[in-house]
Amino acid sequence: MRSMTWYLGAGFAASATLIAATTFSGSLVRAQSGSFYAEAAKPYKGTTIRVLDEITPLQEALSKIVPEFEKETGIKVEWELLNHFEVINKGQADMLSGRGYYDAVMMHGFQLGPMLSAGVIRPIDDLVKNPKLADPNLATADFIQRPYKTAAFAKDKQYAFINWNYNQVYWARGDLLSDLEEQTAFKAKYGYDLAPAKTIEQMRDIAEFFTRKKGEKLAGKPLASDFYGIVLEGIKGGSTFGVLWNNFMKNYGGDIVDAAGKPNFDTPENVAALGMWAQLWKFAPPGIAEYSLVDVPTVMGNGIAAQTIAWSDFVLGVDKPGVSPFAGKFVYAPVPVKAGSTVRSAEAEPSVTVISAASKNAEPTFLFLEWLADKKQQDKLIELGQGGVPIRSSSWALPAIKDNPNKTLFAAMESTLEISSAKPKMPKYYELYDMLSSIAQEVGLGKISPADAAKKGQAEMLKLCTSCLL
Amino acid sequence: MTSITEAMPANAARASRERFWYPYLLIAPTMITLTLVSLVPFIYTVYLSFHAAKFGRVTDFIGFDNYLHLLSDTRFWNSIGVALVFVGIAVPIEFMLGLVGALVLNQHVKGRSILIPLLFMPTMMAPIVVGLLWKIMLAGSWGLISYNVLERFHLIGQTSAFASPGLALYALVFVDIWQWTPFMMLAFFAGLQALPLGPYRAAAVDGANGVQVFFHITLPMLAPLLVVIGLLRLIDAFKVFDTVYILTGGGPGISTETPSILANKMTFEFWNIGEASALAVLVWIAFFVFCNIFYQVAKKRLNAF
Repeated sequence: MRSMTWYLGAGFAASATLIAATTFSGSLVRAQSGSFYAEAAKPYKGTTIRVLDEITPLQEALSKIVPEFEKETGIKVEWELLNHFEVINKGQADMLSGRGYYDAVMMHGFQLGPMLSAGVIRPIDDLVKNPKLADPNLATADFIQRPYKTAAFAKDKQYAFINWNYNQVYWARGDLLSDLEEQTAFKAKYGYDLAPAKTIEQMRDIAEFFTRKKGEKLAGKPLASDFYGIVLEGIKGGSTFGVLWNNFMKNYGGDIVDAAGKPNFDTPENVAALGMWAQLWKFAPPGIAEYSLVDVPTVMGNGIAAQTIAWSDFVLGVDKPGVSPFAGKFVYAPVPVKAGSTVRSAEAEPSVTVISAASKNAEPTFLFLEWLADKKQQDKLIELGQGGVPIRSSSWALPAIKDNPNKTLFAAMESTLEISSAKPKMPKYYELYDMLSSIAQEVGLGKISPADAAKKGQAEMLKLCTSCLL
Repeated sequence: MTSITEAMPANAARASRERFWYPYLLIAPTMITLTLVSLVPFIYTVYLSFHAAKFGRVTDFIGFDNYLHLLSDTRFWNSIGVALVFVGIAVPIEFMLGLVGALVLNQHVKGRSILIPLLFMPTMMAPIVVGLLWKIMLAGSWGLISYNVLERFHLIGQTSAFASPGLALYALVFVDIWQWTPFMMLAFFAGLQALPLGPYRAAAVDGANGVQVFFHITLPMLAPLLVVIGLLRLIDAFKVFDTVYILTGGGPGISTETPSILANKMTFEFWNIGEASALAVLVWIAFFVFCNIFYQVAKKRLNAF
């Protein structure tokens, strides 16, 4: 009896192994021949899915690829592109209403906390585990891991793959930094060589050094108008507070919450970071409090500031002939860190496309999102954009990036993405961010001291939440 | 003894009934439309204000919690303060300039037919266009007026009105005056044009001078229009949203955050719909009280109605 059981068990195990091996090799063959999606999409042929995404040069390149999915699968994609603010408002409104007009909506990392707490995002674990839908060659290990893991997962559930790896880099006028006259004067004043800033302190020195009045000389030529040592985002909203938070506070060893999610805004590290933030505003154009993430690259492109920290995808739209008279003269580097600090942080916004909980087309939508994240499409996207912002580690080796004349930009991007994290999942993220943005502005404008700002921020945060993480 | 009704022929009774219902039938379409588009949403707003409504989901009845939270929130009072300063400066200036302008226009100015459409242009512009226009005019570092005129010719240095917590609100007031003064002017001008000539002729016979004519004839006769237009403009200015949203977004800090901007943030950024509804209801109550008092004062003191 026992031997009979053993034989049966062994036979069953062998059959199961054979079936599994056949299934795996079959799907591998299908995937290799490029027909995995065609096969997986058969039950959904003729279905129309609606996807809402943000418009940047990256998505414009992607829109040339999307029709290929339709050809390959027979699933029609209505792919709508809106600007940053509209995609947030319209996408969230649709998901929160439960209407489900959009099957999938692009979400910046910061949106995920509020939207997850509202229960309007569909987890995709079941779809990822479904052999009929999961591309065995997706190679998720090739995704740049930290942005992927911090954006797409929450509380042991997966909600997305990764779609966009928005990240910030240090951006400076290379022609000024390499000017011999300026280099000599800088060394005489500060005691070290003028070069792209590696530390926040160096960035401050460069900002001070290059802030000049109309009529003074810059690189040997008299200035026709005032010139500024730095430009930063200062508008209330946008990513102003993100810049302060991730490029300054975290690099100073601070944060807005502790590991348990309790507000932690009034630490000495944050006060020091706020102090530096306030100092830098003194070397920025007078309109800094009006500058958004769109204005900063424009100001840099127009050549009225020496350096900034900006979103790399915007750089791609500015640092090219015909757009900026300084195209080719810019230099890039990783976001500067605090001198002597072992901590490294940089503002980034890993972003995902999530399936709405109200979607009636979860499976075909999942296939589309998976297809987008596939290496083949990502390689094509980088090629079409003559660069771009990779979501996959293997993309760094692509000719469009490796042989790109803008080498320092991609080196800076790669460095940033190594340490990029999505924003912590906070249900009250918007309220917190809005309030802290005000404080960032007030500190920059000199309306409130860094120490008072830290106290005020802490008190206001505690009013909103005592445990701020999801 | 038969009653009058009994004596009344049946068709006369029917005619009487029809006479009673006829006005109601005439206004019924308007009332139904108003009920659907105004009253129902308002009642729902009141309902939401008493509930926990977050992320578009209405959950528990929480009584006055939303109101109490709002009334203890410094940000709410800041927004009220901002709106009061905005209204308190902008509306009287618009009113005075509008009235003076209307009196000038009424003096058979040459080229009036060309001037009136030109004057009306700012009012005809969409607020979003006005916002963008003044952004271009007053932006720091590149604005047409702020940079290319004021800074370039060393009139005022480092100009960035919308980036300055001390100046931003006054810059918004200036934009509002620019946009709405022509409206006031033209409304008052239309009123002046409609005044009867009889009293003026009588005043001329009695030898009244211009000032006497204005204060004793023009102003009393124009009072109802002045009160109505002033009140409408006051309500409209208190609710200002578009230009503020475009030019400052309520910043720097919260120095230009009006109740409309705050309500928008609460609704579409924080998704705290219950509290935003409470804000809307509070503002409505304040206006309801204010407008009633204003109406009574205007009726008794100014004989405006």
